[in-house]
Amino acid sequence: MRVSAKTKEATRQKVLQVSQDLFNSEGFRETTSRDLAKAAGIAAGTIFNYFPTKEAIVLQLVCDALENAEATFNRRVRPESTLEEDLFLYVSTGLRQLQPMRGFVGPAFETHLGPACGGDANELGDRIRTSHVEMVSGLLSKHGHDEPPTAVHLQMYWLLYTGVLAFWAKDQSRKQEDTLALLDQSIKMFVNWYLAG
Amino acid sequence: MAVNVAELIDALPEVDQDEATPSGGVVTEALATILSDRPVPTGSMRRLSLLGGLQAKIAVAYGFHWLRGWFQDADQRERDLKETHFKTALKMLDSMGYLRGAVMKVGQTLANFPDVAPDGLVQTLDKLHFQAQPMHFSLLRETVINELGDEPHNLFAEFDETAFAAASLGQVHRARLKTGQQVAVKIQYPGIARTIRSDFRNLVPLLLPSRLTGDWQNLKDQVEFARRGIEMETDYTREAETQMRVRRLFFEEDGIVVPQVYPEFSTDRIITMDYLEGDHLDALLAKNPSQDERNDYALKLTRAGSRMVYHGRMNNVDVHAGNYLFMPDGRLGLIDFGCVIRIESDAMWELYGRLHRAMMTGEDSSIREVMMEWQQLTDSPSDAEHLRLSTEFGKLVWKPYYSPGPFDYGDREYLQRGIDLMAEHMKNRCTRSHPTNLMQARWHVGWWMMFYRLGAIIDPAPIVNEETTVTGWEGC
Repeated sequence: MRVSAKTKEATRQKVLQVSQDLFNSEGFRETTSRDLAKAAGIAAGTIFNYFPTKEAIVLQLVCDALENAEATFNRRVRPESTLEEDLFLYVSTGLRQLQPMRGFVGPAFETHLGPACGGDANELGDRIRTSHVEMVSGLLSKHGHDEPPTAVHLQMYWLLYTGVLAFWAKDQSRKQEDTLALLDQSIKMFVNWYLAG
Repeated sequence: MAVNVAELIDALPEVDQDEATPSGGVVTEALATILSDRPVPTGSMRRLSLLGGLQAKIAVAYGFHWLRGWFQDADQRERDLKETHFKTALKMLDSMGYLRGAVMKVGQTLANFPDVAPDGLVQTLDKLHFQAQPMHFSLLRETVINELGDEPHNLFAEFDETAFAAASLGQVHRARLKTGQQVAVKIQYPGIARTIRSDFRNLVPLLLPSRLTGDWQNLKDQVEFARRGIEMETDYTREAETQMRVRRLFFEEDGIVVPQVYPEFSTDRIITMDYLEGDHLDALLAKNPSQDERNDYALKLTRAGSRMVYHGRMNNVDVHAGNYLFMPDGRLGLIDFGCVIRIESDAMWELYGRLHRAMMTGEDSSIREVMMEWQQLTDSPSDAEHLRLSTEFGKLVWKPYYSPGPFDYGDREYLQRGIDLMAEHMKNRCTRSHPTNLMQARWHVGWWMMFYRLGAIIDPAPIVNEETTVTGWEGC
């Protein structure tokens, strides 16, 4: 029986939803693909038609959350804000969107988004990275820095950004307030370094 | 006068460039730790390598310098000061933005150990405090969302994005509630409370070289008390509760106002309260108020302090100009209750009552007896000097109350004698006492400075006598 594109997409979304719920309630390692398939109401083998691994599911959740965050950021950003404020808001909006999956996304950050992961065949990881640095370039441009940032600039930015992501995923401070402080220092550091040429 | 940090740096002795660590080192170090796939460190020593590291190093360096300074002569202190690489520290501080608050708060608190810490250092820290860069609005709104669940502009009818005042470990914004009430929203810098706690945890091990001195236990107790004091200041829930308690102590006829707290807009990190219009001391003095106005405010300050102590059994030991507002209609506004100590022990309260009575009556034998108990002294000859100094200091504190007629608080000699006596305490190692004395001493010095600057000439005795009637202390 042919499954319509609409049904496929609905199943895919269902898998993503139950995965987030089960990873949170049972733990990422403890949850098997069979558990996910059962919760999504599909056969155990069918789930691989949608996602080859559990890690791929996590990365898709991250990718979707960050895409939503971009839209939210565009609504929240203020025309009169500084470069530092915009960069801070962009990252913090992303963290807020990722909040429901904080308990299990840490390993995915390091495996697919870490500074050493660039240029591989990881399509989703590349998509997240490309989208993010394009936004950063756009913000630099908004603040009068029209020359595109160099590869070194972007690598430095990415190093700081992924460091903040990894810190946040494990941050045990009240409401992850230490992450806000680290993010603020990291953005300041990048902006000062960037502006210094 | 605001002092530019660059000017301060230029005025300080040279240090090797190699020793000047850029602030980015903290972040880089943090990233190295994070990327090594270890859990976020929660132990104080490990956490120091993250957010708290830089602050802790600087604050501990200063604190150690001061504490060692108790037992050294001025020349040695001067040498030690250079050892702390003040210039390097300032360079780093300058690049840290609002996190400077943590360093300065710890530094200021430690400076209060002898209350006669090197003037230059204390003044520098004070000035830096007022220059600290505020949180930018993006950081602020994330903090508000974390704490109150929504954007400032959704929670309030109006919210001023620019802070109008620095607060202890945070900043204050004007806003308007949807009911129309004008309020002040005090917001704590994220992460600062934990940073300060880490700094203090690392202070005691650094004091270990002093452990062989006779005052070691007492020194440890004092540091512990200071730690609790500064931790109090980071606990906005406690502060809001204290503020509401103090507010209940005052009535319209007192002419003393404590802003109402709005619990629904207050958390561990945010306090929302009525906005009060008024001048701080500098602005008031710039208007050259008449002697009557000065005296009237001084009487209200006396009423406020006495009411809190004798009715409320609590004391705001953070007496400085920023915590009082001189309102246009002549009322006195009390703000900031982060450093209020409560006298909860009945034994302590009873002892304080005996001290008060002894000082007011001036009977030497009573004063000697109660002072020995208050300062935890014995009859041994080694305690004789301590007793003499403490007794003189106590008499000085109570002098405005037992002296007949108006007392001239603008008398420079009176203030100077108080400061000299505290210096003598330190010089003669007379540091042993009940830990609360550290806070009390801070209160007295702050109080004297306020009244001295006001140039008040008042008779505070009737107010103090009236306020003590509720204590039930014999003879009051």
